[in-house]
Amino acid sequence: MIETLGYLSLSWLDPWLLFLTAAGTLAGIYVGAIPGLSVTMATSILISFTFKWQVNEALALIAGVFVGGVYGGSRTAILLNIPGAPSAIATALEGYPIAKRGEAGSAIALTTVMSVIGGFVGILALALFAPMISDIAIMFVSRDYLLLGLIGILLVGTLSGESFAKGVFAGGLGVLIGMIGLDPMTAEGRFTFGSVTLMGGVPYVVAMIGFFGVAEALMQLKTVDVAAVKQKVGRIVPRLDDVKRYFWLGIRSSGIGTVIGALPGTGGDIAALLAYDYAKRTTKSPEVPFGEGAKEGLVAPEAANNAAVGGAFIPMLTLGIPGDAVTAVIIGALFIHGLKPGPMLLVETPHLFWFTVGNLTLANIFLLIFGLTGIRIFTKIVECPKAILIPLIIVLSAVGTYAIQNDPVHIYWMLLFGVFGYFMKIYGFQVGPVILGVILGPMMDANYRRAMIGARGDVGTFLWDFVSHPISLILTAAFLLMIASQTPLWRHGVSMMARNPAAK
Amino acid sequence: MSGPKTLRPGERVFACLIVLFSAVALWQAFLISGFTGLSQPGVFPMLAAAAMLGSALFILRDTLRARVDHENRRTFAAGMAEVVPVKLLVMLVLVAAYLAAMPLIGFVLASGVFLFVSFAFLWRRHVLVCLALSLVSLAIVYFLFRVIFQVVLPQGQLIPPGVF
Repeated sequence: MIETLGYLSLSWLDPWLLFLTAAGTLAGIYVGAIPGLSVTMATSILISFTFKWQVNEALALIAGVFVGGVYGGSRTAILLNIPGAPSAIATALEGYPIAKRGEAGSAIALTTVMSVIGGFVGILALALFAPMISDIAIMFVSRDYLLLGLIGILLVGTLSGESFAKGVFAGGLGVLIGMIGLDPMTAEGRFTFGSVTLMGGVPYVVAMIGFFGVAEALMQLKTVDVAAVKQKVGRIVPRLDDVKRYFWLGIRSSGIGTVIGALPGTGGDIAALLAYDYAKRTTKSPEVPFGEGAKEGLVAPEAANNAAVGGAFIPMLTLGIPGDAVTAVIIGALFIHGLKPGPMLLVETPHLFWFTVGNLTLANIFLLIFGLTGIRIFTKIVECPKAILIPLIIVLSAVGTYAIQNDPVHIYWMLLFGVFGYFMKIYGFQVGPVILGVILGPMMDANYRRAMIGARGDVGTFLWDFVSHPISLILTAAFLLMIASQTPLWRHGVSMMARNPAAK
Repeated sequence: MSGPKTLRPGERVFACLIVLFSAVALWQAFLISGFTGLSQPGVFPMLAAAAMLGSALFILRDTLRARVDHENRRTFAAGMAEVVPVKLLVMLVLVAAYLAAMPLIGFVLASGVFLFVSFAFLWRRHVLVCLALSLVSLAIVYFLFRVIFQVVLPQGQLIPPGVF
């Protein structure tokens, strides 16, 4: 117990870690707020720089950026009607009308307080449930991990993309990219075309920077000349009666956010939209109608997306399956530092788990401090024109890619991924499943083969194993249900039920 | 998937390309170990490529079913300009040139020139303003990464070592 407390307070007592967490949070707020810079982009670039650091230092910085970044998007959403990050799309719907009424200051203060409350709910859930899930996860066998990986990739594909097929394609592409190089089991080359460079594989950080950094920068070129409309900011003091009135809505939305964050593959952006929808459905008589500046519609998504941060760490630290794109990047960081996220993480390196919990708590406190101060300088910085940002993102992406292994070839990979990612985005594909595929692909491949070898290569035994063990059966059912829910037959059935309530 | 919708320019071409790409990927995955065993290194890549091919065919079917907007039918050039604006093309050329030049003239010089040219192209301010801005941002990037993060930046072959 005392040891746990010691790990928890590690980043609170070490001035350097304290500083890194604070710096990360502050930087995260700006990164999240500046349209065109995303948290995923920033963490993927950061990881390439911090891999020579101590693991605690790297994690402190990244945790700060994550917490700050998820919140930061709300500010530009309120002030400029441009969500700085996808998780702030719902915030813009209500926040901007409030700002137009001249209440930008109180709106920002309310979102800050609610974000912090949401953050704490997520962290509490992480501290309480991760050890429990980890106890169950020790019983997971290889086929369960295969299923978890598949479910994770499909979840992102179904919930965020234009169509299921596009999600599957993106996931498959990611898995394929992850397969490039020498097979870790037999040392046979896969997709190497006899080239020595390809034998080392494509580091996932390169794919991340390409798909999230360069592709996004290229997308931003389309709106390079759009000027933002500024709003006046009044006093940034949260009104106590506002906080009291929306407290329980904030807590309920945080619950939604935590669960959505904890589902493999879904993160803050989906959590925010679902919580917004929840607030809209459950608020019977809002003071102001939704869409015209209802504070309920501001509280729900902001509490939810910050709660999703803590939630997203749960599957990552207990199962080794990232909860969203940013934790997918953080998993990469843990691997680089020689740690193995998964059920054994809590057993072998409990200090790392409690350090993360303490660190996220600290970042959340800094969020409250920075969130309620420094808005005036802030409005100046976010006005930085995209014409300046885009070339800078490209330079940073190049430095980041090169820093991983000092290999110039990776820079060309990055450009290739960037251009392909641009076209995927244009035609309604999501790049999230690609990254999840790259990270989870090798894990799924290894677990598939272990399960197959365990079944002595017999397809019948292999398939029977999926339904004859309770954990596998639950996961198989979830997986099949997800696929079935995407078929036209299912939707036809649902619409029939809806039209004919007596049939229920 | 939600009924016929209007096509984006070039969407069918893109769908055809990803079908082709997936088919080639499947063929390459087959070459790894063929059908020699179910736990061979090539099985999972084949499954992934097959999933890609299947979904790509679905996407192609959807684009074939989708409505072509005949009323607002644009010329080929107008459609292209929407998907690949001139700005994007110019930037892509600049980025490609930048990345190709980096191993030759080193990170510092290549980035400086790239930043200056792209600021001048995208921002359209006075040359001196762009020059000053690119110098300042390059100095910040260099200080942050070389001095604080201690990252190794690409050196140029044509530049004597130790200059940048």
